[in-house]
Amino acid sequence: MSEQDTPSSKPDATETNSRATGGCGDPILRIQGVTKQFGGITALDGVDLTVDPGITGLIGPNGAGKTTLFNCLTGFHKPDDGQISLYETDITGKEPPTIAQQGMVRTFQIPRELADMTVFENLLLAPMNQHGERLLASWVRGEQFVEEEQTIRDRAREIAAFFELDHLLNEPAGSLSGGQRKLLEIARALLTDPDIVLLDEPLAGVNPTLEQKILSRIEDLVEDGYSFLLIEHDIDLIMDNCERVVVMHQGAVLTTGPPEEVQSDERVIEAYLGGDNV
Amino acid sequence: MAVADFIISLLTFISIYSLFGIGLNLKFGFTGLIDFGHVAYFMIGAYVTVVLTMPAGAAGYSGIGGFALPAIFSALGPLGSLFGWILGVLGGMIAAAIVSLAVGIPTLRLREDYLAITALGIATILTTVVNDEEWLFNGPFGINTVHSPLRDVFPVSVGSFTLNMVVFGALSIAVFAFTGYWLVRVFQRQGRRGKLILGVLVPLIAVWYFVLPTLSGGMVELTRNTLWLFDPTAGPNGGIDYDRFILLVSVAALGGGYWLTERTINSPYGRILRSIREDEDVPRALGKETFQYKLQALMLGSALAGAAGALWAINIGFIAPDQFAATITFYAFTAVIVGGTANNKGVILGTAFFWGIRNGTRFIDVPSQYSIQLAAARLMLIGLVLILILYYRPEGLLGEQDYDIPLPSRNTSGGTDDV
Amino acid sequence: MVSAGLLDATVQGVITGAIIAGGALGLSLIYDIAEVPNFAHGDMITIGAYMALVFNNPGEIPFLPNFGSAPFVLAAVIGVVLAGVLGAVYELAIFRKFREKDADLITMVIVSLGLALVLRNAVLFLVGSKNIQYQTQRVITTNFDFLVTQSGLTVTSTQRQAGELVTTGEWGYPWWLIVAGLLAAVAVGYAIFAFYREEEDFTTVHLIPPKIMGAAGSIATVLLLGVFARLDPQGTDYILGTQIGLNVKHITILAVVIAAMFILNVILKTTKLGRAMRATADNMDLAQVRGVNADRVQLIVWVVAAMLAALAGILTGWFATNLTPNMGFALLLPIFAAVILGGISSPYGAVAGAMIIGLSMDVGVYLIPGSSTYRVAIAFVILIGVLLVKPEGIWGDV
Repeated sequence: MSEQDTPSSKPDATETNSRATGGCGDPILRIQGVTKQFGGITALDGVDLTVDPGITGLIGPNGAGKTTLFNCLTGFHKPDDGQISLYETDITGKEPPTIAQQGMVRTFQIPRELADMTVFENLLLAPMNQHGERLLASWVRGEQFVEEEQTIRDRAREIAAFFELDHLLNEPAGSLSGGQRKLLEIARALLTDPDIVLLDEPLAGVNPTLEQKILSRIEDLVEDGYSFLLIEHDIDLIMDNCERVVVMHQGAVLTTGPPEEVQSDERVIEAYLGGDNV
Repeated sequence: MAVADFIISLLTFISIYSLFGIGLNLKFGFTGLIDFGHVAYFMIGAYVTVVLTMPAGAAGYSGIGGFALPAIFSALGPLGSLFGWILGVLGGMIAAAIVSLAVGIPTLRLREDYLAITALGIATILTTVVNDEEWLFNGPFGINTVHSPLRDVFPVSVGSFTLNMVVFGALSIAVFAFTGYWLVRVFQRQGRRGKLILGVLVPLIAVWYFVLPTLSGGMVELTRNTLWLFDPTAGPNGGIDYDRFILLVSVAALGGGYWLTERTINSPYGRILRSIREDEDVPRALGKETFQYKLQALMLGSALAGAAGALWAINIGFIAPDQFAATITFYAFTAVIVGGTANNKGVILGTAFFWGIRNGTRFIDVPSQYSIQLAAARLMLIGLVLILILYYRPEGLLGEQDYDIPLPSRNTSGGTDDV
Repeated sequence: MVSAGLLDATVQGVITGAIIAGGALGLSLIYDIAEVPNFAHGDMITIGAYMALVFNNPGEIPFLPNFGSAPFVLAAVIGVVLAGVLGAVYELAIFRKFREKDADLITMVIVSLGLALVLRNAVLFLVGSKNIQYQTQRVITTNFDFLVTQSGLTVTSTQRQAGELVTTGEWGYPWWLIVAGLLAAVAVGYAIFAFYREEEDFTTVHLIPPKIMGAAGSIATVLLLGVFARLDPQGTDYILGTQIGLNVKHITILAVVIAAMFILNVILKTTKLGRAMRATADNMDLAQVRGVNADRVQLIVWVVAAMLAALAGILTGWFATNLTPNMGFALLLPIFAAVILGGISSPYGAVAGAMIIGLSMDVGVYLIPGSSTYRVAIAFVILIGVLLVKPEGIWGDV
């Protein structure tokens, strides 16, 4: 796979860039005191966090509340308390489509491919605000409809080639292997042109060569103005690739900082890394 | 009754119920909404169209209207009157869509099983309202002053008996020729089993339609069945009668509905509908306002059911609330599932299968005191077929259809992966 | 003589609720544990009612020889047992097979719809569509006139005997007794509640929640006092008067349904089988890993649910004095409404939902003139109203 397979950079990258880096280091996401309870069990206990542009890793032991936090950020759960802002826009308690339209898109930990639709259709679904998504436009089929569908198909093919899914485009997504489903999940999220992507364990089950490729791709995308918040269990992977690391423990943020700093933090070692193992 | 007349009435039935089924397929097959209240929109389409098109102050009618739309435009001649009727049908479709909007807003947020039961409940309530409120649509007495579009024009005769016979006969034979051509093409594309089934079924039907009547009725019957569009008894010189016209209208409406749904499904819009059926969280996570789409699919499907209701009214010539029992919805579900959920061709096949069994078994001679038993046995059979199909062939006879958004070709290398 | 009013409508509503509850108990069991939104439940009710008819009044069924009539109660018991056998057939022949194929909820809905078509038309095929009655003793309704006067409450009971209206009793309660009785009822109820409540700790599993126990104690106190503390009439010059009609059917239906609810609850909460059932309802795969024989649990669920459905059918047929092939399907909507309202995972919830639906149907029809054909509609409006506020039902999908 050569460099030319890399999809073109984000169409409105410059514009987004200026927005993302307008204040140079202005946080993308500001999370204040987010709390979520499930029938008396506190899953999130006042999470305070700011996410800056770039790659941020989110780690923590099982049950720390990482996925619940993702669900609250993307509107799949309504937080009981607290506030979430995306670029200074309050998105607390908004519906998932609204939040996605605002530029924050997530992947699911257990891939949720649309099993009876083809891989290609799974990808074509993703781009936002397609002209043909309106009923009348789908009946009339003007020039815009055709042109946009052509463009979307090209982009989908490109990204499928990058994720090594191009030979599977016409297969039903349900027939993919576990690793391929993960890739489809990421590809779909990227096709929406988000400002920030929340990746929930995107690399579990992906072969190491491809894993490296995806990581370098993510770094390229960061150059182009995308940001990522990444849940991952592979600590080395987080430490090697993230600019900042957030550690969660028992529903709250334990610490944040650059990888080296976090790695040597006593509390983190205590809570997560299992004492003398690291 | 000649076999041709039976076939015409059966085909009209199948066309109308296929249109009804295609509306259901849009909701259930493509979008995944279990609307057990689908028949309510059939009823609304029928009633609103009839009331909009029938004359005011009809005898024996004490409900709202009528509004006599065809009469208003009849100054423009028969076509004006037809235009008035079409406006009435549009009114019926819009009414069905609006009611489904009102039903959908509270119920579409519910779990799928709760949606099924509330939709069934609301449909039952709507039928009760129509039945009990005489001021609305005449209550249980129904409406028998249904406006039949272009009724006065028929039978249409184009000249002498021979000319009529030649013109309509040629049309009839053209239809047979096209059917034959289509069957051959389908046959060629089938696998071994499909070839076997078609190879047995088609000759059997041909024998039943052509040979058996000839044996009993001679050449006269054969001629009548072959030149099926030509009715020798219609008018002094023969011609095409009203029943045959209704069939053509129904087939045209089915064609229109089919085209529209296909267009809807094979588009980015249709992709979203199907993604909702598969897992609604995914399109939501990708920024699609799925609620709007569900609502629109419900309204469009209901409007198609409303159009079917309008045709039903002119075909039967009389409408009453008891024609719109919840079982009609269940028949449509059976037809959709047997033919192939999420396959519009399958809906037509399933509907033909269903109504073929239902109306075909009328030819079985049973003493009249056993007519209830016969009807019950038919429905037991249908219930059984439903369960067996779901177990052994859950995708139905045809399976889910393929999707394609045809685009003008370009000179790009990778054209193979166009879906 | 006074006319029937709100109080009578309430009594009717409770009975309607009890009949719906009979169906709702079985439906909630299937819904919760087998995870089938069973649209065939209404027709299982019909089948049960006709099962009893086979033994009670075989002369009415065309293809059967008239081999004599079993007493109603015996026929009902046989009918319920046979319906249980049919329940096993549904599970073994249909639903187990679909469960093994991991059929989704929509498929289960349609499968149960297919079964509903088969069952209803089997009845039509075998029996025809005519109205049939059980052979039972005539039940005489006693009308109680309640008159609120200056000095208290006067009750007159009348019966229609051989066409004549006969007064069978006249008594009353002075105000002091009424006040004292109500206070006693509140006290007894609260005492029971407090007594059970004190013992509660985190691990207590209540067979009957203290609140329900307390309420039952209060009602029992009022009834006992009403029956035994009958004093002289307090005059007939009434300020408010109302009449309720009661007969042995009302009492029996209420008693049978409450007993069924109680027994079901005991089974679910105290027996090993019940624990297995609840574990299966929570998570079938996990229950299987822990050694629960899920197939056996599901079989029992279908048998029990079919028996409960038959019970509801027999009670309905007896109460309405006729059986039709559509009787069960007509009950299906209110039963579903009750189950969704009450939450699908508790017998008490199902009965509570059924009572809300039953009361809203009969009281609603009484309060809104000319609405008698909208009984089911009223129940549905309530359900949709609740779902608008809480889309997952009052108790949600626990």
